[in-house]
Amino acid sequence: MSFTQNKETKEAEEALVREFQAGDLTAYDKIAEIYQKKIYALSFNMTRNAMDAQDVTQEVLLTLFKKAHTFQGKSAFSSWVYRITLNATYMKLRSKKKEPNVSLEDLLPSYNGSGYQQEKIQDWSENTESLLFANETREVIQKAVDQLPEKEKVVFILRDGEGLSTEKVSDVLELTIPAVKSRLHRARLFLRKKLSPYFEEYHSRRKKK
Amino acid sequence: MICCKECLDLLSDYIDGDLDPQTRADLEEHFQDCPPCIAFLNTFKTSTDLCRETLRQVDVPEVVQRKMKEFVDQQKQKKGQFDPLAD
Repeated sequence: MSFTQNKETKEAEEALVREFQAGDLTAYDKIAEIYQKKIYALSFNMTRNAMDAQDVTQEVLLTLFKKAHTFQGKSAFSSWVYRITLNATYMKLRSKKKEPNVSLEDLLPSYNGSGYQQEKIQDWSENTESLLFANETREVIQKAVDQLPEKEKVVFILRDGEGLSTEKVSDVLELTIPAVKSRLHRARLFLRKKLSPYFEEYHSRRKKK
Repeated sequence: MICCKECLDLLSDYIDGDLDPQTRADLEEHFQDCPPCIAFLNTFKTSTDLCRETLRQVDVPEVVQRKMKEFVDQQKQKKGQFDPLAD
């Protein structure tokens, strides 16, 4: 999405918020329509639980309804909505026992003294399109994302899942741009390493056919 | 000539198109001489694409959409009776 489109979307959304603040209820319908899917998807990807995602969506829609008049426009309205969604999601996650995260450091690339990487790599990247349609793949990927450490997970979901720009993620999470980039990269490295055995097996199964 | 570590550190910026032309050229020069880094790049890009597509496949179930619509309507009705902005 270009900067101009972003700016137009931002202005259109903030006009809706002002209309709602002035008492126009149809503006709230439109706000709810724009954000419902984003709130649900973010919360579902964070919790992997449909009931939790539904609760969070309802709670955030209610907060928007009750608190929209307190929104002052210091940052983008959408950043405010994402922050409220993340807070509500973290409250849900806090009440649950979580499996311990896998150490991220162990899954980052390793190098010898001369800076050469040491991993034996099989290139499984060809003909993976059909993987996207398999339920099994979706589950394997969601489980791997769930094992990411919290800091990397939220950046990865906002950036690659929600499709937000690096700048937007930095605004939502109040992090510097280099911090967002570094966490995103570590998340992607972790996922590649974690998912490689599954993709390798898929690749060799296909080759045998 | 950049080493494998520098190369792998730059992969996200490379696939996101965030590198300046000189660094991009240096990286591509490294790829020409380093098949393991090419394999790493290919698998890194494919895994990132597959994860991204999977996360983006989430749809709001119809039953949830219906419930949210009812919920929004309820809030609006309540607001018709009271003034929530005075909340």
